[in-house]
Amino acid sequence: MASVASQDAVTLKTARRRAWFQWNEYTLTIILFLLPTVFFMTVFVVWPIISSFELSLYKWNGIDPVRTPIGLDNWTRLLQDQIFWRAFGNNLVVVVLSIAIQMPLGMLLAIMLERAGRRLIYRIFKTVYFFPMLMSSVAIGILFKYIYDPSFGLINQFLKGVGLEGQSWLGEPNLALVAVIAVICWQYTPFYMILFLAALNGISEELRDAALIDGANQPQYYRFIALPLVRGTLRTAVILSLIGSLKYFDLIWVMTEGGPSNASELMATYMYKKAFPSFEMGYGSTVASALFIIVMVIALASLFLTRRFETEV
Amino acid sequence: MRKYWFLTLVLALLIVSVPALAQDAKTITFWHIQNTDPGPELIQQAVDRYMADNPGVTVEVVAMQNDPYKTRIRTAMGAGDPPCVFPSWGGGPLYEYVQAGQVIDLTPYMEADNYNDRFVPASLSNVTFDGKIYGVPVENTAVAVIYYNKDVFAQYNLTPPTTWEELRSVAQTLIDNGVVPFSLANKTKWTSSMYYMYLVDRLGGPEVFASAANRTGGSFEDPVFVQAGEMVQELVDMGAFIEGFNGLDYDTGQSRMPMYADQAAMELMGSWQISTYKAENPDFYENKLGIFPFPAVEGDEGSPTNVVDTVGDNYYHISSTCANPDEAFEMITYLIDDESVALRVEAGRIPPVVGVTEMIEDPVLKQVVELVENAESVQLWYDQYLPPELGEVHKDAMQALFGKEITPEEAAKRHEEAAVKFFGK
Repeated sequence: MASVASQDAVTLKTARRRAWFQWNEYTLTIILFLLPTVFFMTVFVVWPIISSFELSLYKWNGIDPVRTPIGLDNWTRLLQDQIFWRAFGNNLVVVVLSIAIQMPLGMLLAIMLERAGRRLIYRIFKTVYFFPMLMSSVAIGILFKYIYDPSFGLINQFLKGVGLEGQSWLGEPNLALVAVIAVICWQYTPFYMILFLAALNGISEELRDAALIDGANQPQYYRFIALPLVRGTLRTAVILSLIGSLKYFDLIWVMTEGGPSNASELMATYMYKKAFPSFEMGYGSTVASALFIIVMVIALASLFLTRRFETEV
Repeated sequence: MRKYWFLTLVLALLIVSVPALAQDAKTITFWHIQNTDPGPELIQQAVDRYMADNPGVTVEVVAMQNDPYKTRIRTAMGAGDPPCVFPSWGGGPLYEYVQAGQVIDLTPYMEADNYNDRFVPASLSNVTFDGKIYGVPVENTAVAVIYYNKDVFAQYNLTPPTTWEELRSVAQTLIDNGVVPFSLANKTKWTSSMYYMYLVDRLGGPEVFASAANRTGGSFEDPVFVQAGEMVQELVDMGAFIEGFNGLDYDTGQSRMPMYADQAAMELMGSWQISTYKAENPDFYENKLGIFPFPAVEGDEGSPTNVVDTVGDNYYHISSTCANPDEAFEMITYLIDDESVALRVEAGRIPPVVGVTEMIEDPVLKQVVELVENAESVQLWYDQYLPPELGEVHKDAMQALFGKEITPEEAAKRHEEAAVKFFGK
């Protein structure tokens, strides 16, 4: 009996080793299932990235049949382009403020909802908090343009009503970016709330009961038991927010178009402006490629640096 | 086995249906951006009449939003798959398409039976390059004029200013009474450019810009440009523009709201806004709206009759990949035949055809037409005249100039540097 068992183990081992290149009745199934994804990924993701890099070596207006190869000129221009680096700096501001505001706020809301248990109020507030996430970014952008309007907007009306001075939120270079980030946070906090709520609900009730019996109070439960257990989700959330903020486009475009005078310019809005309204497809592609490299490097670095927080959740 | 049969069937259907879709004898794809009322009907009635007269041809009309259109047409051209008929504003961006060989030379069509005599000569100049005509002017005539709220002017005993000094004193009176002189939505950038363009034209005449933009000896660092920048910033300093204008969006109506609410007294804007007033706020249009031309600047070169103006845009063009250019051109003529012209006039527009003045009864519109007729020279919007790359530099510089982030000298320098880089001289 023993020998049979060990032989089985050996077969299993070789089977595993060979699994990569073994042709059996499942292989075709696997290939067929993967084929559509691979096809669409290649056509819509991989190929555009490669061709952006290629275009970055040309001076091209986007419509002319002739492209002029100019080597790395676009890249040297990019390195000296103050607006691009300002946009990069603005992206970092978006990253830091997004994470610093959305994560704690999302967690706080998630904990409040989790504390409410399964009551009706839980369901009502979960839906209410989630509303911003359901609206289209363009609609939100237009809505907040009116809310921020210096003469008619809700915010300035309120400020003037209580005797404070109104601000021109989107017209002032040092306010515009922060004003838009506030809206971004309003829109995306619910997403992280739902993520955290799912993770918190995934913790076994017995752990909480045990902790409470051992004399922990609620804050201690969250601080020492729940948070460490959901750190994998936290890591995912931070990285999602990081990548999202680095390639952010929509609300900035709708609300300020990167203005006034590039004060709220982001790498993605700058890329669009160069590639389309300015007819500089080559340089726009260079900005796009740089954006790709920057996001890739930062994302990989942060995945690597935070790998010890990885959990199953 | 059954699933293979199914797969085969699906494939067979796909293969068969593709040619079936493409089988229509003659199809003309037609993109336009006349998407606010009554634009779509104006287009559709002409297309319907054309199709009724030409049963063999199908016209596929696609209406689009203004800004998305600009991106889509470029992508379509870059990909070699543009629509047969498409609109443009003429000028620098159109010239890019012409140079890229994407647009059909319409001169033979326009000259046949003297068809081009139908149009106001000024309307063809923005689509004529090297003596060839590349577009048909159709939609409208747009002049930049100053709109004012008559009620507010009456309240403070003001009359429309005719000189720059008068304009400044009107502005001062309004400010003293807590009314904002000028409404301006400058997130959109080209909106502020009109003040600058008018001042440059008044101070130095049209040649200053023309010689700088065409690189025929002029420079964007000409003292005239600097002085225009200084005059703009004087207005900004005295508080002549609405609070936070650099964050307001023209496309969502943020410059018109203060006018409607009697909080701002004037706005410098293109004459297309007349039909917007009509549609958005008929009461304002009928009872409060007045217009006057940009005032003269004392003792300077440019004639005070000069206007910032486009005649005839949107233009319609035929792309060089179009399979049926003859049919496409005939279809375009339906857009600007007598019936279409009458409908456009009724809708508050000024079609670029000879003799349109007699058809117009609306008093405000009549005033606009007279401005165009009496103009000694016409200045096209810079961002439409200049190559797109420079147009963007100009618009960015305007926003920064009005926001007082750069000096008039710096604004002039930015234009000149970009021009030197673009033209290589």
